[in-house]
Amino acid sequence: MAQSVFSLKDVSYSYPGGIPALENLTLDFNQGERAAIIGANGTGKSTMLTLLDALIFANSGIVSAWGNQLTEKTMRDAGRQRDFRSRVGFVFQNPDVQLFCPTVREDIVFGPLQLGVDHAEIRRRLEALANRIRISHLLDRSPHQLSLGEKKKAAIASVLIMEPEVLLLDEPTAGLDPQTMRDIIDVIDQAHKNGKTVVMATHDLHIVEEIADVVHVFGGNKNVIRSGTAEEILADTEFLQQNNLVHIHVHRHLGVAHAHLHEHGHEHPHHRDISGFR
Amino acid sequence: MSGKTSGGFLERTIQGAVSLLQETVSVENVAARNGFLQHRDPRFKCLSAAALLIAVLMSRNLAELSVLYAAVLCMALLSAIGLFFFLKRTLLFVPVFSLFIVVPAIFSGVTPGEPLASFKVLLWNLTITRQGVDSAIVFFMRVLDSVSFAVLLVLTTRQHVLLKTLRVFRVPQLFVMTMGMTYRYIFLFLDIIQKMLIAIKSRVGFVASTRDGRKIVTANMAGLWLRSYRLHSQVYDAMVARGFSGEAFVLDEFHARVPDVVILLAALMALIGTLWLNLFFR
Ligand SMILES: Nc1ncnc2c1ncn2[C@@H]1O[C@H](COP(=O)(O)OP(=O)(O)OP(=O)(O)O)[C@@H](O)[C@H]1O
Ligand SMILES: [Mg+2]
Repeated sequence: MAQSVFSLKDVSYSYPGGIPALENLTLDFNQGERAAIIGANGTGKSTMLTLLDALIFANSGIVSAWGNQLTEKTMRDAGRQRDFRSRVGFVFQNPDVQLFCPTVREDIVFGPLQLGVDHAEIRRRLEALANRIRISHLLDRSPHQLSLGEKKKAAIASVLIMEPEVLLLDEPTAGLDPQTMRDIIDVIDQAHKNGKTVVMATHDLHIVEEIADVVHVFGGNKNVIRSGTAEEILADTEFLQQNNLVHIHVHRHLGVAHAHLHEHGHEHPHHRDISGFR
Repeated sequence: MSGKTSGGFLERTIQGAVSLLQETVSVENVAARNGFLQHRDPRFKCLSAAALLIAVLMSRNLAELSVLYAAVLCMALLSAIGLFFFLKRTLLFVPVFSLFIVVPAIFSGVTPGEPLASFKVLLWNLTITRQGVDSAIVFFMRVLDSVSFAVLLVLTTRQHVLLKTLRVFRVPQLFVMTMGMTYRYIFLFLDIIQKMLIAIKSRVGFVASTRDGRKIVTANMAGLWLRSYRLHSQVYDAMVARGFSGEAFVLDEFHARVPDVVILLAALMALIGTLWLNLFFR
């Protein structure tokens, strides 16, 4: 049995103002696992990631990391806080929240500097990372001069540079062009090969099979409605459709528009049809 | 009171904010150019500018002030700043106000001395004096010089670098960082406001002329405050998530090179020269 990294037991959370965002959620994440969290808008994906990163705390139930309970009180300990922050990295859904420094470079080095990483080492990591995800030319720009996709890359870099054991990613590939998406997937994949645990909320079903071993589906009941392997869940189109996760896809082929379910992760046969007719 | 004025005011304010954004971005472009001063160590640049400012404020010598002004213009050219752009930013705006102080000073009533010209305006006999004209020219040159130094420094140094330099002069890190973040988020808000304006326009047409438009703007303003509050707490979370614990650390990236030292020495020499001129040639 793999070692547990995060565990949630019967966790409920409501935002101030009373709207419940999670109710009685029980879930485990194991060492070295790649988990994808999917679910319609407003089902509590971001809320759960924020709980895991100990930025908010459960109203009831227990959230723990490596066997230690995460509460406001335990996180007040400076040593514990620092240890936790160096082991867990969180990429926020909104990159504007995460890029708060005047330049991209300062933003990326912010994390390791706070954690006291050696300056020469920070420079080395910065250069390697910027090359790998192709953002070297953006380093001296101000975040307000970047496009959404560029901001997302910078935000991801600002977390990867800390080399945390666990990556919590909130829709890291939303709104990215295909090449950029590929770069990000490769980086995440590499992190996983290096033994890191990845928990990622996403709406991009077509990448789920590639980036996740386990999939947890969040539903309107503010809880997990199903967990399983990526293949198993992605194959169940009827289930996905019931939960707002697959849309009807309209497109043209052979000059005729027609509609069918958008099933991701499978080879689309139409191109072959077209070439057959030529 | 007509609705037009208040709607127009709102829209003009928003447009003003947006053009501030564009203006600042264009200034940032100058700082990013590949020129002489852009490559200088900001610490030395700031110190040199300070020394020169003191020299200018103490100088009563027109020749010295002119030499310094010529030097500023050369520096601007070396730093890939067009002469016209630079003159527009300095000559046109700030020194205009100094004319209001300078013009009265040339007359005998303010500065007594050797008469240069006399004429009659309505009931008054006005006499321009040589001393008056001299001191006016010196004053004008001083303002022009100081403004030019300051503008040159700001144009060739990126805002965040200027901020970072404050730290070298012992301004607390947290203060510097807060200023940097303020600068950063002003842009985010201008951006949000601009998008909001476009969204409203796409729904109700010109904001200026319709009652509905104004209502929507007002409602959105309230929303903007809430958004700013939410953003503020999320940004704080994002800082904590990356290990922030009340004290911020930054990477020092300043490197002094030979030209930096040369510039500082030249500025100090100008300052010493001024002191010397003032002491011995009164
Ligand atoms: N700061 C907040 N204040 C109040 N309510 C909030 C706040 N953030 C989220 N909520 C509410 O909590 C619920 C869960 O939100 P959450 O952001 O976790 O959803 P999500 O699954 O990440 O959605 P999305 O796919 O749109 O990102 C939603 O009903 C939302 O309206
Ligand atoms: Mg979310």
